[in-house]
Amino acid sequence: MMLDNILSIMIFAPILAGLGLLLAPLGKDAARAVGLVVSMIVVLLSLKLFFSFSGATGAFEFVQKISLIDSLGISYSLGVDGISLLVLMAAAALFPMVYLLFTSKEKGYYSNLLIVQGAMIGAICASDMVLFYIFWEVMLLPVFFMIGFYGGPNRLSATLKITIYTIAGSLLMLASIAYLGVAYHAQAGEWSFDMAKLTQMSLAGDTAALAFIGFMIAFAIKIPLFPFHTWLPDAYTEAPTGTTFVLSAIMAKIGIYAAIRFVVPIFDEGMARYALILAYSGVIGMIYCGVTALAQKDFKRMLAFSSASHMGVIALGIFCMNVQALTGTLYQVIAHATSTGVLFLLLGIIEERMQTRNIEDLGGVAYKAPVFAFFFAVAMLASVGLPGTSGFIGEFLIILGSVKFNVTIAVLAGTTLIVGVCYMLWMFQRVFFEKNNAKTEAFKDLTLIETLTILPIIVLIIFMGIYPQPFIQKITPAVEQQIAQQQAPVSTDMQLADNSASVISYKQEKD
Amino acid sequence: MHDLMVILPLIIVGVGALLLMLLASFRSLSKEGMSILTMGIFGFAFFVQLAVSNNTGLLPFNNIFNGMMVASTFTKVAGLIILACGFFSTMMAQTYFTQNKEFVLEFYCLMLFAVSGMLLLTLAAELITVFISIEIMSLAIYSLVGYDRKSVVRSEAVLKYLLLGAFAGAFFVMGSAFIYAGAKSTTFGTIAGVIADTGFLSSPTMVVGAFLILVALLFKAAAFPFHAWVIDVYDGAPVPVTGFMATAVKTSVFAVLVNFLVMNSELRDSWITFLFYISVITMLAGNLIAIGQDNLKRMLAASGIVHTGYLIIAVAAVNTKEFTGGVILFYLAAYAASTLGLFAALSYLGGKEEQRVCFNDFSGLAKVRPYSAAAISIFLLSMAGIPPTAGFMGKFYVITSAIQADLVFLAVFGIFSSILSMWYYLRLIIVMYFREPEDQFETAEMTFAPIGTIILAISVFAMSFIPVVL
Repeated sequence: MMLDNILSIMIFAPILAGLGLLLAPLGKDAARAVGLVVSMIVVLLSLKLFFSFSGATGAFEFVQKISLIDSLGISYSLGVDGISLLVLMAAAALFPMVYLLFTSKEKGYYSNLLIVQGAMIGAICASDMVLFYIFWEVMLLPVFFMIGFYGGPNRLSATLKITIYTIAGSLLMLASIAYLGVAYHAQAGEWSFDMAKLTQMSLAGDTAALAFIGFMIAFAIKIPLFPFHTWLPDAYTEAPTGTTFVLSAIMAKIGIYAAIRFVVPIFDEGMARYALILAYSGVIGMIYCGVTALAQKDFKRMLAFSSASHMGVIALGIFCMNVQALTGTLYQVIAHATSTGVLFLLLGIIEERMQTRNIEDLGGVAYKAPVFAFFFAVAMLASVGLPGTSGFIGEFLIILGSVKFNVTIAVLAGTTLIVGVCYMLWMFQRVFFEKNNAKTEAFKDLTLIETLTILPIIVLIIFMGIYPQPFIQKITPAVEQQIAQQQAPVSTDMQLADNSASVISYKQEKD
Repeated sequence: MHDLMVILPLIIVGVGALLLMLLASFRSLSKEGMSILTMGIFGFAFFVQLAVSNNTGLLPFNNIFNGMMVASTFTKVAGLIILACGFFSTMMAQTYFTQNKEFVLEFYCLMLFAVSGMLLLTLAAELITVFISIEIMSLAIYSLVGYDRKSVVRSEAVLKYLLLGAFAGAFFVMGSAFIYAGAKSTTFGTIAGVIADTGFLSSPTMVVGAFLILVALLFKAAAFPFHAWVIDVYDGAPVPVTGFMATAVKTSVFAVLVNFLVMNSELRDSWITFLFYISVITMLAGNLIAIGQDNLKRMLAASGIVHTGYLIIAVAAVNTKEFTGGVILFYLAAYAASTLGLFAALSYLGGKEEQRVCFNDFSGLAKVRPYSAAAISIFLLSMAGIPPTAGFMGKFYVITSAIQADLVFLAVFGIFSSILSMWYYLRLIIVMYFREPEDQFETAEMTFAPIGTIILAISVFAMSFIPVVL
């Protein structure tokens, strides 16, 4: 009984609590307590869901469906499968950290955090296109307010940039969704926006190419993929740390998830035609943002570029269109969420205690705060993909898959991972070693509560690096199904141009 | 079903207007009494309209009064929207007059007359009837805009509107004459028959006549290139009248436009390219004007032009074979709810003599009056088409129907226009939320407009669930 609408509870408990907080005359401590309790409930529910998820068939589980608008087949339908499971876990399980670590925010901040969490879980679980779109847009509004109210000095332009950028992308996606509905109506004679039905279509032609581009732009902005990443440094830097955490650790992953969910199965032809360009855009973004990160003086801005750089690799995994790369991408979704998330949170602590994010102002933190430094080091090494951490498994699988797809890209991606190591280790040296100064002299190590808050994630990072099987097991069937749905043969090496032609002719024969 | 039953709501509103005139002449009614009575009349007519079934199952239209009028679910719902617009505008007006002194008792009577003209317009299927109902509506609205004779701004607005409106009326008469010359009849049904027999483009008189009629209707709907009057007139009119014009007039004009084009489906097919360009340019022009505005009323007027553009997309995409008009009606209703809501909020936040009208006058509103600011944000987001509001569903339906009708370019352009419009909708939200308050936003005592705002804010969400048949 409980499991029937577990997803609805996970979506609407935070949203309703957030709206209630806005209306209720509570102080900020009480608001934080409410946020913490609700987010803990969501964590417990998500654990329950994770362990009762079988994943054997690759089908949707925990399905719930209520018809909303019959005449167009729009329904409130939710479900989880192997593709959404890990993304859902990231969105559900990481939030309590924000409430535990940042204690001095205002009521509105906590209520926005609650609403954004509910909306993100909704976007991940929705199995109706229109419902997905609704949650996708709703999750932007709290971010708009969080950056605009509680952000840094340049917050207004940052929040406008991210909002207009993202809304522009999503509106293009809206046209594409409408197109899918119309296409399904033309094929099946009935209206539906059910993902399971829509993804069974496979579309080709000029309008389909337009729709493909509409989807891809929306997701490329959200991920963000080069060259749509220009909103990211400002937004990540100006946002309060909790919001940066939400953006980088979870919201970016929803872009990845959505690309896998909608674009890969429906637009065979589009994928075959544009996969190489998109893969290159991932690699270029990775190199470009990596090099830019090297040059940053602002700690947070550096992490922002580093995050964008890693998103390039993750996105690369989508466009390789084979089981290894896709599994790697989904694995990397949670690996990157945990490592980058922890990095941003620890940075937030530095900023709160020392009132500076300038790398040059810091130094010798490791002598004053060994626990802090240890946690930071683990998250950092996971982020650069050291074997034995979660980051290694994911990136390894992606590179493996990309070798199958295109050797040039694989070589480029594999060799430039080193850039990430460069800027991270250099930063680590400057911040954690070298000499102490007046500011870092007074830096206190993590308190017990802070240590206990972050410890589970650190353990998870190492556990996922040593024993990935329980996670991979749950996602593989769905990934295999997804790849099978995309009937296009996996293109190998550099004959993509010829291959895409053959894909089209193959499809025509089939028709 | 007796034909008279269909026009019962119209009769109620018309008789109500006359009764109110009589009562007003005794000067025994207070301002509040008048407004409550007017709301009562609108409410009663609304429920009668809801109860009367217009549809006998004959698609798309059911002729009544020997083809002088038509009735269908489309006309019924259009009438409901108009009556609701009248109801909420009266609510606004009541509050408006607690803060603004110049009041004439005829104000509400004129509103009722305007609504009866609009209701007739939704039903009309004959050129002379259309002309008469347009004039009933327009004359009442001219007087509503300029009832405050001492104000220069109002007089300027009414002069502009009257002169240009008279031109549009003349165009309409001219067009009707041409059509009559071509088809020997003024009823839509007969005209359609003639067009179907001889072909539309083969008869120059018909082409010219239809063109002139379209010009007149596009003028009333504020489509490019006949949109220029809107900005000044909406700005010059009192807030409740602006809200009323922006919603009810648009609904009735689009109702008759759709009736005309759908009944003459061949005509619509020949005009589709024309409508295509009109909608593109209308959206573009509206957006460009709106981006430059500093005054809220002018911005809303310009954004009304953009919404006309979307509605023309829906008209171009209308399915003449299985006509339901659902998309158009839903869009009109969603637009009406959010526009009326905004004007309702403006009518009590505007203060004495409309002192707050510019963007910057609302700086920091969220800190002083959080609920009003939230309501205004909801209405703005609905106009911008952000879910989960009715405005989003409306836009979604328009785009879906455009794609279905193979007007992909229009759909894409509609999307681009939405992106442009984010600029001026977000601007007000930013001013309200991210600036420090400079004003106390004192308002009148408990009045109707805040209640109307709340109801409309709720209905902006609730309306999303109304099922629409494409």
